[in-house]
Amino acid sequence: MKLKIIYILLALSLVNASCKDALELDPTTSVPEGEVFKNTDNVATVINGTWKYLNDTYFTYANPGYTAVMRTSDAMGSDVAVTTKYGYRDAYAFTELTNNRSNRVNSFWIMLYKVIDNMNNVIAKVDGAEGSAEAKNVLKGKAKALRAFSYLNLATFYQFSYLKDKNAKSVPIYTEPSTLSTEGKSRSTQAEVYELILKDLKDSEGLLASAAIGAKYEININVVYGLLARTYLQVGEWKLSAEYAEKVAKNYNLMNASDYQDGFNDLGNKEWIWGHQQTNEQNVASYTFHYLDVSSAGSYYYSFMADPYFKDLFDTSDVRYALFEWDNLPGREGFLRYKKFKFKSNLIGDIVYMRASEMVLIAAEGYARAGEKDKAVAALNKLRIARNAKLFLGNDTDQLISAILIERRKELWGEGFALSDILRTQGKVVRKSYVDGEGKPIQVEIVGADGKPKLVNGQGHRVIKFPNGSDFVANSPYYLFSIPYEETVRNPNL
Amino acid sequence: MYAKFKYISIAAIALSGVNMNRLYAQQRAIQGKVVDAITQQALPGVNVRISGQNQGTLTNTTGEFTLNVTGDALPVLEFSFVGYESQRVKANGTNLTLLLKPSSTDLEEVVVVAYGTAKRTSITGSVSTVSSKAIENRQVSNITKALEGQVPGLQSVASSGQPGTEATIRIRGIGSINASSAPLIVLDGSPYAGDINSINPNDIQSISVLKDAASSALYGSRGANGVIIITTKSGVTSDNTKINLNFTQGYSTRAVRDYDQVSTDEYFQLYWEALRNKNLSNGLTAEQAASNASKTVLTDLNINPYGSQYPQPVGVDGKLVAGAKTLWDDPWTDVLQRTGVRTQADLGFSGGSAKSTYYISGGYLNDQGIAIESGFKRYNLRANLDSKVKSWLNVGLNIGGSSTQQKYPQSEDSNTANIINFTRLVPSFYPYYERNADGSYVLDGAGNKIYDFGEYRPSGATPRNNLAASLPLDRNDIRRENLSARTYLEVLFSKNLKFKSTYSVDYLNGNTHNYTNPLLGDGVNTGGYVYRSNVRTVAQTWNNLLTYEKQFGLHALNVLAGQEYYDFNSSNINGSRQQFVLPYFDEPAAASQLNNFTGSSVDYRLLSFLGRAEYNYDNKYYFSTSLRTDGSSRFSPDKRWGTFWSVGGSWKLKQEEFLKDNTTLNQLTVRASYGGQGNDNLGTYYAYKGLYTIANSLGKGGTYTGRLATPDLKWESNLNLNVGVDVSAFENRVSLSVEYFNRRSKDLLFTMPMAYSTGYTGYDANIGALKNTGIDVDIRTVPVQNDNFKWSLDVNLSHYKNKITALPKDNKSIITGNKLLRVGGSIYDFYLPEWAGVNPENGLPQWYTADKDGNKTGEKTSEYSKAGNFIAGTSLPDLVGGIQNSFTYKNFDLSALLSFSLGGKILDNDYIQLMHSGNNPGRAWSKEILERWTPENTQTNVPKLTTDNLNWTSASTRFLYSGTYARLKNVSLGYRLPSDLLKRIGVEKLRVFATAENLLTFYGHQGMDPEQTVNGATYFRYPAMRTISGGIQLVF
Repeated sequence: MKLKIIYILLALSLVNASCKDALELDPTTSVPEGEVFKNTDNVATVINGTWKYLNDTYFTYANPGYTAVMRTSDAMGSDVAVTTKYGYRDAYAFTELTNNRSNRVNSFWIMLYKVIDNMNNVIAKVDGAEGSAEAKNVLKGKAKALRAFSYLNLATFYQFSYLKDKNAKSVPIYTEPSTLSTEGKSRSTQAEVYELILKDLKDSEGLLASAAIGAKYEININVVYGLLARTYLQVGEWKLSAEYAEKVAKNYNLMNASDYQDGFNDLGNKEWIWGHQQTNEQNVASYTFHYLDVSSAGSYYYSFMADPYFKDLFDTSDVRYALFEWDNLPGREGFLRYKKFKFKSNLIGDIVYMRASEMVLIAAEGYARAGEKDKAVAALNKLRIARNAKLFLGNDTDQLISAILIERRKELWGEGFALSDILRTQGKVVRKSYVDGEGKPIQVEIVGADGKPKLVNGQGHRVIKFPNGSDFVANSPYYLFSIPYEETVRNPNL
Repeated sequence: MYAKFKYISIAAIALSGVNMNRLYAQQRAIQGKVVDAITQQALPGVNVRISGQNQGTLTNTTGEFTLNVTGDALPVLEFSFVGYESQRVKANGTNLTLLLKPSSTDLEEVVVVAYGTAKRTSITGSVSTVSSKAIENRQVSNITKALEGQVPGLQSVASSGQPGTEATIRIRGIGSINASSAPLIVLDGSPYAGDINSINPNDIQSISVLKDAASSALYGSRGANGVIIITTKSGVTSDNTKINLNFTQGYSTRAVRDYDQVSTDEYFQLYWEALRNKNLSNGLTAEQAASNASKTVLTDLNINPYGSQYPQPVGVDGKLVAGAKTLWDDPWTDVLQRTGVRTQADLGFSGGSAKSTYYISGGYLNDQGIAIESGFKRYNLRANLDSKVKSWLNVGLNIGGSSTQQKYPQSEDSNTANIINFTRLVPSFYPYYERNADGSYVLDGAGNKIYDFGEYRPSGATPRNNLAASLPLDRNDIRRENLSARTYLEVLFSKNLKFKSTYSVDYLNGNTHNYTNPLLGDGVNTGGYVYRSNVRTVAQTWNNLLTYEKQFGLHALNVLAGQEYYDFNSSNINGSRQQFVLPYFDEPAAASQLNNFTGSSVDYRLLSFLGRAEYNYDNKYYFSTSLRTDGSSRFSPDKRWGTFWSVGGSWKLKQEEFLKDNTTLNQLTVRASYGGQGNDNLGTYYAYKGLYTIANSLGKGGTYTGRLATPDLKWESNLNLNVGVDVSAFENRVSLSVEYFNRRSKDLLFTMPMAYSTGYTGYDANIGALKNTGIDVDIRTVPVQNDNFKWSLDVNLSHYKNKITALPKDNKSIITGNKLLRVGGSIYDFYLPEWAGVNPENGLPQWYTADKDGNKTGEKTSEYSKAGNFIAGTSLPDLVGGIQNSFTYKNFDLSALLSFSLGGKILDNDYIQLMHSGNNPGRAWSKEILERWTPENTQTNVPKLTTDNLNWTSASTRFLYSGTYARLKNVSLGYRLPSDLLKRIGVEKLRVFATAENLLTFYGHQGMDPEQTVNGATYFRYPAMRTISGGIQLVF
């Protein structure tokens, strides 16, 4: 028996010895860094995964990824009369983005810089991976474009226009992968940030020149041209801006009247250059339609109502005019729907980032500001023809530019350009209450539940002044997105 | 290091085996009987053993025992039994009768400690116990909720009242910042990874709480935050099987009333005022502003509870127009809350022969919650078997199995489906059944009322939602099956040496079924939705322990050495579908559209070697020391192994000559211990690798940065000093135990914050140090004791101070959310904008500003983003404790447990929802909003109303409330039928009783249940329940 016990114990000790290797374990929902940068196929996952992070991350239900940045830009402009529903009512009232402790302020900042760091990793490490030089160029080109896109957003919303003061402190720049020892950086000037954006985009232009055009949610040469057009418009390189815009625009047809009624929810739309696709499985970004979509039964917040005065900007023959409708449902009577965005079935919808009409309008604006009036009018009228709107026939440059900017509001409503245009052009928000000269609500006719017409108060803007009671002005700090309080604390170099 | 242990143990076995055959020569029998010294009743189950040897037995049901002894010398017998004073007597004679005195103090009891049991007197560390008496028939579904107020040094906070949820337990302060501060739970000798809900409190024999190094260092890397050892009941040798039956039936309601809200009339007038004020600031004239407000009230609120004859119920003067009266008042509590019914039944059998004993029990529990469709059901069984297979071999098996079903509708979080929050946020002027304009109910064809989903309600009042209608059709079920087995094999090599091998497995399968019906509510637009998930967790522990025990004259030695291997695996799968083809089918098979499917798993392993030595001289001087080394899979190979140790000693002054004859003093002991334990529970299982999170997108592989590589990450360690004194006097009628502790945690696992602009919010690092110093006091008294009446009064108190002693980067303070970590402060120091009151001039909220260095300037701002942050007290209480009173008079018994927590603050985020300034129309308002600023009422703490968001409900000291409370946790009144009466019908014991949980709560801030999280945060949670029950206890 003695011996038996000794054997048992010896066996136990052997088991124990073999257990030592058992302490080496790997996770199943994450990949070790070394594996990611092993070859170009693996590196490609970082670009694809970062794109998903940017688009399909819920920070809150009101902040379902990057689409929230665009919605916020619209809510802080002149043409969307955001209702009291959850989501964008505080942004609309200019009390949210100035609050540097708000969720939205945190989430935008974290989101954009997370993308930057991921792209920095790709740019720095892709050369060390196995794979062809072509594959590496394509990855680097996409990474630089996406990094430039993030910095362009930061430069747009966190400081006034480059043309106002290019030496104004903007946001910190990071171009290397962050490590344990990375310290927070100080804010660079608008000039430095735009220099980086342009360099990245120009590099990308070369790197992606001969790359295949993939799905529309992937970055390709057209997207790079479009981003260059946007960037040149920001920095006042009018001609370059127009030329790059035209380079893209010529590759796409404009929507016809019936396409315009389809709900702006599908990547397959012929005008779309860049966007994000949604599926039954991947549908976080679709949540944005609960705010944008004011006519589908499944929309939960339907808070992006149109300002009734916005309707007056359109000719009645305009194909876009048909999208207006006074809401007649109980509880929302008298709000003005602009039925541009609609859910697909299953409550999903693709997100538009960039489409041909914007490029046509950039071309128009670029040429107009560069003094090439004919080209500008031609571009503007190209769009107006497609929309069945009255053509621009004037000859005055200021009128032309003003017409182009109004056309941008009309064409790009709800696509994220309202506040960015106001900041870029150093304009101001224009909002009026929907009341008559005596301050009484203006009555509008709707079809009641009983099928008979009835008069109700038309609902327009609720907030027509800044929170401190002052009038809207150009270059107001209320327009800027705050740098989060936490960043100011964690980054003493800021 | 670990290899050395093994060879020592093998050598020891080889040597001792030589003597084995001599053991059983020259035997003779000692017989005896053990009775209660007061009642003279036989005591079954008393542990009788020969001092200094492994040989022992238990008394049978008639209190008798037989022991075989060898050799000529008179052996010393030790008698020990939970709840009685232990005794040592010389066996001079072969037929003994022994009187055991019930211990009014627990100084002599046998307690379960790390890897074994020990007599209370021999413990050099700090161990508190809770006996089965203090647990049985408590109306709690989860044992963690029964511990509050019962153990000095243990802080238990039940932040959710949802049946089947756990309380958070902290032992002697908060030991970690980012890593877990939860104690290790051990069930019947092995770390427990099963579902704590599956343990039936009525199966528990005792709970030991190990608080210091000497008692818990043997658990090494998992012992730093204390250990709770749960031991289940076992059988006793007897001729008859003892049958135990318990049944209770009770009713549950809310323990505290929710926040008071304004009436409908008040609401409408207040909202008018908010609109009018906003119109004024938009530049309208006073007249326009008022008339516009009168017109807009109904547009915004979308309901007219005054009927269509009052199309503008609020006049231009801001008052209700004459004659306007609400046609209905529908508090949603009517349809969403209820009186819950609680039923519990347990049946147990115990008994055994001289060689084998058993305890078999089964239980049933159905605990309905106060919210509809919430509750917890449990079916459980347990079989504990012990057998002496051979004279040198014991084997045993404890198996506990349970099946539970928790009905768990969303009941925390700000999600609109949160049933608790929904009830609170929707004002009573929004009806739950559809009403006509005149207030009458809308009826369907069959004459039934129709649930009102409130399509028209503004978003503040959760439109398109009626949980009373949809929840009964939905499912929010979590079913869990838990199986826990502990099996051992014990070999007695000699009277001094034994070997025990234990294999334990905890198997837990949790299956979630969430279903949103396609007919009503949310699911209509998606055609219904179903989510199914399954989590399977298996934890296995295998340990092998060698114990050597020997008495050399006055020297007693006990040495333990062993090895342990722990393997944990948890794997899960989940998926969801939508678009149900047919209603009333709720499984994924019936839904036509696949949304997603995913799954993952984690592994965690621990390999350990441990040893302990205990020595005492003449039962006067006790020393103990322990050592354990752990290898953990959580850390990099270089940092994986850690060593943990302890030393302890105690001196029984009462045994000394100079006190021996003192009759007043029964016990006087001083104790001290010191040692180091570890904590590897960071919340992540792969704490050193640089990882990219998998995020596949649109059919292609995707990853993005997850965490930075931290190869230097290692254990948190805890240096723990404990000094205590135990005194008992006046025939043990008064006993007092006071302990001072100083727990120093260093190398704290913490997320080192990084600037958000780096792309990371932080990285894991061992930074900083903190300490918890404090005092635990345990007083047990029996103020009155005579033939018919006994009153015992126990008080326990704990005070600790949590203090950060070092931080990285030259002790720079770190902000984490609304807390600040700074040297000298506690880990839960609030760091918030300081409320500076309402500006009497204009009614705007104000906060204090700070200068560059963060000092208060004294200036105020009405812009929240310009407010400075300041330290605003801690969430940690100054004093926690409990007072237990027990009275017995003849056959009656009455007991009451009051637990309390003094000091500490809570940031009430629930309340601020009801404090909006009018910017969230349709959202309910608390009563306090009536005190809002107006030009007439300028001295107030509530700003003016306006539909703008003034950010005034943003976190600030305005909403920081005192967390002081006292709760009458349990009151119980019982009557025991006279035993001579019962004997005639063959019943041993029959007790009827009434009991109440959370009967009374004393607290300050109306509406907020004072039991919130340890860090002082509310989260829209299910409130505590008051349960009043009646029951019967039958033994035969």
